[in-house]
Amino acid sequence: MPLMTVGVESVLEKIEKNPRFMSNVTFRHTIPAQEGVYEPIPPFLPDKLQELLMQKGITKLYSHQAAALNGVREGRDIVVVTPTASGKTLCYNLPVTQALLDDEEARALYLFPTKALAQDQVAELMEWSDKLGGKIKTYTYDGDTPGDARIAIRAAGSIVVTNPDMLHSGILPHHTKWMRLFENLKYVVIDELHIYRGVFGSHVANVLRRLDRICRFYGASPQFICTSATIANPKEHGEALLGRPVTVIDQNGAPRGQKDLIFYNPPVVNKPLGIRRSALLEAEAVAHELIAAKVPTIVFTRSRLNTEVLVTYLRKSFQKLGQPHETIRAYRGGYLPKQRRQIEQDLRAGKVLGVVSTNALELGIDIGSLQAAVLTGYPGTIASTWQQLGRAGRSKDSSLAVLVANSSPLNQFMIQNPSYFMDRGAEFARINPNNLYILVSHLKCAAFELPFVSGEKFGEMDPAEILDYLADQMILRKVEDRWYWMSENYPAVDISLRSASTENFAIIDTTDGTTKVIGEVDRFSAPMLVHEGAIYIHESAQYHIDKLDWERQKAYAREVDVDYYTDANLDVELKVLDVFEREELPQVKRNWGEVMVVAKTHMYKKIKFYTHENIGWGQISLPEQELHTTAYWFSIPREKIERLDGGVLQSALLGAAHLLGQIASLELMCEPSDLGVTAQIRSPFTEEPTVYIYEKYPGGVGFSEQLFEAHGRLLWRALSIIKNCPCPSGCPSCVGPVEEVGMEGKVHTSWFLKGVLTHGSDEQTAEIPTPTE
Amino acid sequence: MDLTSKLRRFLPPQSSQAPTAQEKSSDLDFYLRGQEVDTPFGSGYVVEERWPLTKRHGHWSLGEVLEAKYSALHPSSDEFSLEEALFLDTETTGLAGGTGTYAFLVGLGFFTPTHFVVKQLLMRDYNEELALLYLLDQELQGKNYIVSFNGKTFDLPLLQTRFTISRLGLEGAANKKHIDLLHMSRRFWKHKLPSCSLGSLEEHILGIHRIDDIPGMEIPGRYFEFLQTRNGSLLQDILEHNVTDIVSMATLLYRLQTTTELEPDECDCSFEAEALGHLSLIKGKHSLALQYLQASAQLTEDNEQYLRVMRQAAAILKRLGQYERATHLWQKILEISPDDLGTSEEMAKYYEHKKKDLASAEQITRRALALAWQKRSPKVSALEHRLKRIERKAQVSTS
Repeated sequence: MPLMTVGVESVLEKIEKNPRFMSNVTFRHTIPAQEGVYEPIPPFLPDKLQELLMQKGITKLYSHQAAALNGVREGRDIVVVTPTASGKTLCYNLPVTQALLDDEEARALYLFPTKALAQDQVAELMEWSDKLGGKIKTYTYDGDTPGDARIAIRAAGSIVVTNPDMLHSGILPHHTKWMRLFENLKYVVIDELHIYRGVFGSHVANVLRRLDRICRFYGASPQFICTSATIANPKEHGEALLGRPVTVIDQNGAPRGQKDLIFYNPPVVNKPLGIRRSALLEAEAVAHELIAAKVPTIVFTRSRLNTEVLVTYLRKSFQKLGQPHETIRAYRGGYLPKQRRQIEQDLRAGKVLGVVSTNALELGIDIGSLQAAVLTGYPGTIASTWQQLGRAGRSKDSSLAVLVANSSPLNQFMIQNPSYFMDRGAEFARINPNNLYILVSHLKCAAFELPFVSGEKFGEMDPAEILDYLADQMILRKVEDRWYWMSENYPAVDISLRSASTENFAIIDTTDGTTKVIGEVDRFSAPMLVHEGAIYIHESAQYHIDKLDWERQKAYAREVDVDYYTDANLDVELKVLDVFEREELPQVKRNWGEVMVVAKTHMYKKIKFYTHENIGWGQISLPEQELHTTAYWFSIPREKIERLDGGVLQSALLGAAHLLGQIASLELMCEPSDLGVTAQIRSPFTEEPTVYIYEKYPGGVGFSEQLFEAHGRLLWRALSIIKNCPCPSGCPSCVGPVEEVGMEGKVHTSWFLKGVLTHGSDEQTAEIPTPTE
Repeated sequence: MDLTSKLRRFLPPQSSQAPTAQEKSSDLDFYLRGQEVDTPFGSGYVVEERWPLTKRHGHWSLGEVLEAKYSALHPSSDEFSLEEALFLDTETTGLAGGTGTYAFLVGLGFFTPTHFVVKQLLMRDYNEELALLYLLDQELQGKNYIVSFNGKTFDLPLLQTRFTISRLGLEGAANKKHIDLLHMSRRFWKHKLPSCSLGSLEEHILGIHRIDDIPGMEIPGRYFEFLQTRNGSLLQDILEHNVTDIVSMATLLYRLQTTTELEPDECDCSFEAEALGHLSLIKGKHSLALQYLQASAQLTEDNEQYLRVMRQAAAILKRLGQYERATHLWQKILEISPDDLGTSEEMAKYYEHKKKDLASAEQITRRALALAWQKRSPKVSALEHRLKRIERKAQVSTS
């Protein structure tokens, strides 16, 4: 489509001539085009499949597709790691359909992280099945599947497409009903492997251990075919998740057009407060240019609400130019395949020029041929960013991707350190299947499914001690060499793989008389953010919390327009229970281990905007929160700070805590809200000034150990943010607002971090750039 | 820190006092008077109770139950004798279903020429499950029919799951004909009784009154307590409860059979007559169905039922082409319930298409439409459409 190409280039040209725009560009990079690497379609594929490929216009395979096919043929468990739009589905659909054509009894199980992906996949497989003579029956099995359809699926589904949650709560606990599936299970396909990390991944790893038990019971030993977006450790992650060795295929053979990458940092509009122009408005301006030049563009936002806002803005401005509404579309979670097909069709026909989407489109859903991507805010991880950037330029044509930063420290770090983004590559995906909470939950489910036999392993681990404990608790019963389920309950019901859904508090907007969930906070943060009387800020609108229903985990909010915000004092007591690892240097001691966090909020203050006057306060009487988890912490020796004024130390610790909490989530590929940070001037445990970063999931999922290892990198990165932040003395984008850290917050924090990093001579301290530099 | 102390801290004990477990005690024999039985899969435990045929259970004696001829209760409609039937009821470790729910007690009932025998297979601990399943499979052999109460959805799928997991290669109940008394009972008494549970049927239909019966909800907990304490008296109530269930099933079967044999003029219950009307209709016996419905209409004291039965009868007459008779019934319905939109529509159809009396058709439709508006009924658009058509026809015929 040469016309489109001209579109992208002319926009680029125009952008480059705009000095206002270019002054905000922090990075400009061209990724050159790449030729495809091809392999012939292997002759061992049955004729019917060869014909099907021919009909689809596929005359050769990309090298990674051929490698996948061969790997599976050799009996290996594989993980295919290639970018968006590289034809990943063929990597599993080819071997699976081949096996099903050879053996009508054979079965396959497909796991997708979301319903939308599953539905997309079934639509495609049904098309394949029709062309292959209708023998391969594909069904989705999820919460929406009606009862009578379920019976048909169990009996006759050649390919059962579901999600890990359904496997966990609907299929495994009823495995006898699925006997036909398990007895004949040849392949398990797991798409988007990188999604299964952190708490969710740790749960899923245990669900797969259970699946393995059930398969062994029915005498099946299926092969695994997985795909993943680019992560730093696909082999390690795949093996941790599947509990078996995997072969990684990561040589991408798909061709790629030239891609131009622009990092854009909105200008500072309020220097003292460190406030930048809204990323949403800047992204709209960029998208406007692109769409006006008839370049099919996708704009990613970070929330559903922003999606709607942006669509409205864009439609309005194009209406003035006489462009019809239908050329700009919204796309968020909850769209049906049919609606998506329509959008795709309209995109191809040139009827749709702009699609505004949440990260729902980041995963492998095929949205057609887009030429430009605009990201409103850094998506949180490098891997996600590449996925979103990769949404433009599916074909061999050149494309443009623009990342517009917002003012959070994370965004500011990324936008100002493009080399970090370009060089470091994607993050590591980590899981901890042996987190005690998670492990015990799934051992219960597993014992429900089949009694445990003495000597039996669960994945790699020996569960005997835990099973004995559960027997002591009278949840299991041990008779001879077996542990049996001894409870009326159905354990899977109480265990959510996405821990967020059960333990979180929902924030419910009641403004217009109806109720609508606008957000969630975790249980641990609820007393601080959604206590009665709190002003909760969501999507830059203010909400007053009228009522907090602690039992039902609901906070009722009403939109208001007030000139103050609220700040609750959280008293965090942190007790170290056990140190797993420690390192002592003259300037710093770092540790990780098990801790008990006890948090209590007593009161909150109302603080006026701009003047920051304290205009009132209120009491909070909510239960104390206890969290048994793991943490990473470091302390500096007392002698290093002997000369120091207490206020300086206070300001430095607060600044460091604010910054490190944000930076740690970058390192860990997790949400900032997964972590808690607290600093103690004199920790009862270390007796020294100490900064703790703890995990908010009970028992921890391995983040603390990772932070312990990343200690030095973490601190350097924090320093670099302070150095690059243009604010004079501290702002929310670096060490936190001056009201919290004081007028010298930046200097103090820099000094502190530098002191921790180097064996404190004054010369080295002098190297620290002053903020005014 | 070692794992167990970590577990204790992460997952603090729910309850502190664990009942003290005793050795496998013999007091089970004392309380339950059962016997240990050897099987190829270890020992099982069987409690047997023999009821003489003269014994009464509610309104009937077991002899009466045995003598009856049975036919109408299974879809195959073959006549069968009670000697082929096995009554079955399980007690389980939970109601949630799934592979972690065990049937720890399977109660079986069958007739011999002289007795009604109840055999209860008890799993004294989890390691006796295979023996229990083996014994159950033995009892199932030689029987063609299984009679249960709600067994289609509960007992039999659960047992099937147990057989599958046991991997004994036993067929179990897989290929037996199955009579689920709950379904039949619902047909007759759904509208009559507040609930169609076995307890409610016993009380209202069978004349059985239980004393000190253990509530079903308490059964799993009681069994778990037995496992911990080995105190046989804990199971006594459960076994008694199970025996009563099984004997009640036998009399319920008898009651259902005799009810299905009633002629229209023998009916003395409007609900039974109505259900028999439906059954006749399913079998295609229209005039018999009408007779039952008429009997029901005469017997009933309930307006709702009267209208329901009349509508049903009118629908049959309409299908048979007997419009005059159907209209007669519709008129009766509208006298009692002038707001009945469905019936008004039927009348309008009749006047428009059969009688070709457009004026009456229009009048009825207008009235119905006004009502539909008032009630915000979904029928509005259909009625509007009808009215327009009638008006159009009327214009054509006048012009």
